[in-house]
Amino acid sequence: MIVAHILTPLENLLRNVLEWLGPHGAIGLPWAWSIVALTVIVRLILVPLTVRQIHSMQNLQRHAPQMKEIQKKYKTDKKRQQEELMKFYRENNINPASSCLPLLAQFPVFISLYLVLKHFPHLPGDNLEWLGLWNITDKGSEGWGPVLVAVYALSQLASSYFMSATAEKSQRIMLLVLPIVFIPFIINFKVGLILYWMTTNLWTVGQGLVTRRLMPRPAAPEKRSSRTPPKEVATAVVPEPASAPAKPSQPRKVKRKKGGARR
Amino acid sequence: MRVALRAPAYLGLGLVYMWRCTFGLLSRGSCKYHPTCSQYALDALREYGLARGSVLAGWRLLRCNPWSRGGVDYPHDQRLFR
Repeated sequence: MIVAHILTPLENLLRNVLEWLGPHGAIGLPWAWSIVALTVIVRLILVPLTVRQIHSMQNLQRHAPQMKEIQKKYKTDKKRQQEELMKFYRENNINPASSCLPLLAQFPVFISLYLVLKHFPHLPGDNLEWLGLWNITDKGSEGWGPVLVAVYALSQLASSYFMSATAEKSQRIMLLVLPIVFIPFIINFKVGLILYWMTTNLWTVGQGLVTRRLMPRPAAPEKRSSRTPPKEVATAVVPEPASAPAKPSQPRKVKRKKGGARR
Repeated sequence: MRVALRAPAYLGLGLVYMWRCTFGLLSRGSCKYHPTCSQYALDALREYGLARGSVLAGWRLLRCNPWSRGGVDYPHDQRLFR
């Protein structure tokens, strides 16, 4: 209840935008397509965030071998591993790719849209169909709904795949299993909401594909670099920080001593 | 006083756990800070109660954006309430 109250302004805003896009508004799209358009608008607003994320992801990939070394070194102590990774980011001026705010920002939009679709602003004679198969006010379990839910699950899988590019293996598996676990819940959502979620996932996939194109593939030289002294890495890939390779080598020695003392 | 402070905090703790069980699952391992934002929120709520804990957690979330650096950041290192 409290959450619903806090979200009322956002709900109203989304309803207004939806009505503006919808059959009685200025744009005049059918309802289903106006939901798709709304999704695209939300994601377009988030594009600056994504561009920033792509930049940091590139930076992160350059340092991937060193990061893996740190992960290996503190395999048993997850907390320590995390702290050392953060230190490494600091030292090498890395901005970790992902952050909580953009993810969390989509959550209120999702809840608000759920509330909007609950009391959908359509008039009696409106066309509520999408591609002639789905009625957006139906549940995901009705009619052709399960097909859409399956497409949703696939889109979620694909988008998780792109989002977890830098994640660990166990986390990746978790991300790939989740969409299947979610199906029983999703199937009770309105088709309109599934449409929103599916569109946003497909947008993520599209972004992932574009990002892959834009990103140079440093995979091969990076693997070699992990065996060669780190000085060459820095000069070969990153032009400016000549001091960067010297820094990580110092704390590493200290860490080894500490690790030895514990054992 | 301590107990009175803590009772409302359970509301916030419940919300964080709810987030963790639903959408949080999809965004696992995507925080740039240590501890993660949700863990920070839990710690802050336990340490500082609902009002101040929520402010700290909210501020942390705002800092966890693509322009920030991330890093090690515990609730007890805060300088807002002292």
